[in-house]
Amino acid sequence: MATVTIKHVTKSFGDNVVLKEFNETFQEGEFITLLGPSGCGKTTMLRIIAGFEKPTSGELYIDNQLVSGGKTFIPPEKRSIGMVFQSYAVWPHMNVFDNVAYPLRIKKASKAQIKESVERVLGIVHLSQFADRFPNQLSGGQQQRVALARALVAAPKLLLLDEPLSNLDAKLRESMRFEIKEIQRETGITVVYVTHDQTEAMAMSDRVFLINRGVVQQSGTPEEIYNHPANQFVADFLGKVDFFKGEVKNGRIELAGMNGQAISYDGPRSGKVDVAVRPENLYFTPQGELEGMLEAQYYLGDVDDCRVRVGDVLVRVIANGYEYAELKKGQKVRLGVRSIMVFEDDGQLEQLLKIQT
Amino acid sequence: MKSVSAVQNEILHRDRTPTITKIALGCLLVLSAVIIFLGYRGQRLYDASGFSSEAGYQAVYALSRDVDEAWKKQLRAQLEAPEGGQREQLEEAALSLLKSAWEAQKSGGEADASAAVASAGDGRRGEMTYKLLYTTYLAAGPKVSSSIKKEVAAVPQGEADAFRAALLSCIADEGAPLPQAAVKAAESLTGEERQAMLFQLFFVSAGSTESGVTENVNAFKKGVRDKAVQLRAFCMIARQEVSWLSQLTVSNSRTVMLMGIILAVDVLLLSFLMMADKSWIVDFKWILILAIVDFLLLFQLLPLVYMVIKAFLPEGGFSLETFKRLYTYPLNLDALKNTLIAGFATMILGTLLAFPLAWLVGRTNLYGKKFFRALFVLTYMVPPYVGAMAWLRLLNPNVGTINQWLRLLFGLSDAPGPLNVYTLPGMIWVLTTFYYPYAFITISRAMEKMDPSLEEASRISGASPLKTVFTVTLPMMTPSLISGALLVFVSAASCYGIPSIIGSPGRVHTVTTRIVEYVSLGSQGLNDATGLAVFLMVLALIILFVSDVVLARRQYITVSGKSVQPAIVDLRKWRVPVTVLVSLFAVVVIVIPFITIFTTSFKVDVGKSMFAAANFTVANWTTVFGRTETMNSLKNSLLFAAVSATVGIVIACTMSYLLQRTRVRGRKIPNFLITLGSGTPSVVIALGLIMTMRGEFGVNIYNTAYIIIVAYMIKYLMMGMRTVVSAMSQIHASLEECSQVSGASWLRTMFKITGPLIFPSIAAGWFLIFIPCFYELSMTTLLYSSTTKTIGFQLYEYWTFTSQPQSCAMAFGILLIVVALNFVLNRLTKGEFSI
Repeated sequence: MATVTIKHVTKSFGDNVVLKEFNETFQEGEFITLLGPSGCGKTTMLRIIAGFEKPTSGELYIDNQLVSGGKTFIPPEKRSIGMVFQSYAVWPHMNVFDNVAYPLRIKKASKAQIKESVERVLGIVHLSQFADRFPNQLSGGQQQRVALARALVAAPKLLLLDEPLSNLDAKLRESMRFEIKEIQRETGITVVYVTHDQTEAMAMSDRVFLINRGVVQQSGTPEEIYNHPANQFVADFLGKVDFFKGEVKNGRIELAGMNGQAISYDGPRSGKVDVAVRPENLYFTPQGELEGMLEAQYYLGDVDDCRVRVGDVLVRVIANGYEYAELKKGQKVRLGVRSIMVFEDDGQLEQLLKIQT
Repeated sequence: MKSVSAVQNEILHRDRTPTITKIALGCLLVLSAVIIFLGYRGQRLYDASGFSSEAGYQAVYALSRDVDEAWKKQLRAQLEAPEGGQREQLEEAALSLLKSAWEAQKSGGEADASAAVASAGDGRRGEMTYKLLYTTYLAAGPKVSSSIKKEVAAVPQGEADAFRAALLSCIADEGAPLPQAAVKAAESLTGEERQAMLFQLFFVSAGSTESGVTENVNAFKKGVRDKAVQLRAFCMIARQEVSWLSQLTVSNSRTVMLMGIILAVDVLLLSFLMMADKSWIVDFKWILILAIVDFLLLFQLLPLVYMVIKAFLPEGGFSLETFKRLYTYPLNLDALKNTLIAGFATMILGTLLAFPLAWLVGRTNLYGKKFFRALFVLTYMVPPYVGAMAWLRLLNPNVGTINQWLRLLFGLSDAPGPLNVYTLPGMIWVLTTFYYPYAFITISRAMEKMDPSLEEASRISGASPLKTVFTVTLPMMTPSLISGALLVFVSAASCYGIPSIIGSPGRVHTVTTRIVEYVSLGSQGLNDATGLAVFLMVLALIILFVSDVVLARRQYITVSGKSVQPAIVDLRKWRVPVTVLVSLFAVVVIVIPFITIFTTSFKVDVGKSMFAAANFTVANWTTVFGRTETMNSLKNSLLFAAVSATVGIVIACTMSYLLQRTRVRGRKIPNFLITLGSGTPSVVIALGLIMTMRGEFGVNIYNTAYIIIVAYMIKYLMMGMRTVVSAMSQIHASLEECSQVSGASWLRTMFKITGPLIFPSIAAGWFLIFIPCFYELSMTTLLYSSTTKTIGFQLYEYWTFTSQPQSCAMAFGILLIVVALNFVLNRLTKGEFSI
């Protein structure tokens, strides 16, 4: 299976720089996700790897062979890559079997071999009984699996997926997510997966690259980037988060607008800080550090989504579902803090969180 | 809370509405039946007068020829046996006057009738005048002197009416007493002679001497046709059946019947739609639909259906005589063969050119592809006959510029050739250069709509760009490719401009040129023309059906994700050679012809170079554009096109709204008819209108500007409608709903939200109707009259009969106007639209 080495890849359309200095190596068998808001440059990166775009500068290697860069450019058809498109791109004039067999026919594989490979891969995506159908007789999810089978049939070293699940409904998306992950595990193929859905990224990836405005904000395992975000944007983009202004004073952070209430802190930062708190990291306890008044609560079944007014600030708390019955609107509550993320306050928070599309 | 009574009211209302509607519809149906009956009755009465049939015309004409003899006989009898008394005096006075009038007329002067009239005294003035009239008529034939006319005009209205009424009652009923003034004229005559005489008298007294009494059978028929219906009405009034209704129905029987039938059709259609909808609530949108449907039924469907009927039932009974006669005539058979061969060859050549060009421009890194795209599309708005003119100049076997070059290049002798445009291949070549853009545009559009990831998926599967073209792009495009090809076929087969300019001198006939020739031959020719037109129409309808119904269903709908720029195929080492090739093509097909037109317009001798000694002149331009008839036809073209475009775009907007924003049943009917109209060959539309719009069905717009405008609208309405419909489909209805929820009325929403959003498309639609109407030739050739010539037709006349350099000047003038219009359109829509 393939490694992908990206060296200082920059891509601009005219004056518009969509990708800045992308510099990374994807290891063999890794499940890589390029995550970011739409327009961040993640799809451009994928298309550069596929060979549909040429980088403005920088080099791209697949298995240490230069494929894009300088005067070298290997066209997509010679890169031995499998790719699944957002729109499925299943050819409507061919049936499922012919769609999937296409890459093998291009390679001039023998009839028997084509039949065997196609049947095997259709088995993997659970479409064996649909081989004779035409795409317009298939549901969106089935078409997506045809696209996946077609991408896998020639046993590529690298599989690229461009938002493959975004046109599916929520339930199907979840099961497909699982299937794709299973297939990757079985085949050991290197996968580059593009999505703007953080749940997909978290659920499937070995490593996530969070991109904004053409720049990689952070890369790492899902757990790393969720719990140890490199900056406010990463913290904000993944999961839910509330930002508070604060100041470090004697091992505590005094939070602005909360009548001088403070939370304990033993980290390295000092002076003015941005405090990011995930609502699930706050909990109701009589021993809590913060005191406030329960202003609203929304029962969502598994959780109880609460708003607590602390001083002048409204704080979101996600408590367990069963607590809904125990709490009453207007009641005084104390909040415990499990963990917080603290960033230096450089006055750029607003600017940083802005998503450019 | 609603009060109980309000709810009750609502229920009652809901219950009652269908009943009321049904009753109203029933009443309307009955009303339409009554109207049809009245029209029918009027028609019967009119038919009884014997003037509706050809035989009737002939009989009356024969009478009118003999009538002079009858008059003279009468006069002789009168002179030989004068009666006594005052009457005698009067007659003598009249006779003496007649004599002097006769003398005066012979010596070139005019008789003065006033003296004789004055001598008659009050009360007898009218009678005296008519006698004068009668006698003068005998002496001078149809020419009545102006002083007599003046006297007739001076007869008091009451007296004149009474005289005419009396005359008419005699015409209607032989037993009725003759009016005093006419006694002498008709007393001793019986039967048809008497009738004819009375008619003559009537025509004269009605002040229509020229049309009523003439040696020219056609003019006479026209006079009778124009007047006879009214005569019958007057007759009935004279016979005490004085009722405005009778008068109306007899004199306009066909129009009345037509109105009745239209009303009945509307009511039935409405009932059918309501029944299908299971809703009996009247929706005013239906009125719009019905109005448009009525227009299309009358001016589009009726002519087409009538033509087919006429072709198969030439004498009232089913017969294939017309076809047999037509298609055994070798010239027609040739025309048929030529049309099919030309259409087919143009289709193949055009598509073979269009697909690679569309692919190169749409999917590769060809140099200057935007420029080329604009250039190829540009040809679309050039009138085809201008191209034909250019190619004639280039490929004329004797003096054609290209032939001269070739002879020079290959050292050939000065014999004609090697190329000759006056041949079928020559015509095919010119047709191809003008119709390949149709396929190019269709294919380009489909390619733009196709999801590029379908091709990318093939590339990533290992297929080369070329392989991808053949395994993915081409199969996916097949439906559009075929419909583009069919469009080229039908346009080439029904083209008139090119075959008329190239074919006629080269004796290469096509169905369209034959139709136009037949039409100029009069009524038998019209019948033969229908036979050919039916062939062309069937061809066009089959193709329309195939591309609109069969292919549309096979069109692959591809789910497109976000709009991705299609991956550009790198032509690499082929980039320069392919660009050179495409440029060469553009130079040959577009640049050289236009330059030829331009330079020819400045030449004295078309055979020499523009720069040859004493061969440069601007006189062609000044002459052509200095002529009043050029300016008049230009004015006509601009006016007709503007009216067609304006009315057309109003219909187009209405239709777009109905199609895109309502679920009213039946909104597809006018849409279907409009599509049908645009698919019908121009010559066929014009022929159908000629055959049905001369009063036969209650509408007479023959030889007027209206018939031209109607034809333009039927042919080109679609162009505008498509633009507006697609613009409206791109505006989500929620934008309008949001405005209405915000409290804006429907009208305000249209003006503030929908209007501004689709304005560019409306403007574009207007121009898309205007431009082809402006330079139209095929339909105008058949429909023009001396006052309604258009610039396209004028150009054709100049080219054929006057001077080629002058018509080139005119052609270039037309091109400049079209380019200018396109520029205005581009500006108006902020670059969003141009042709």
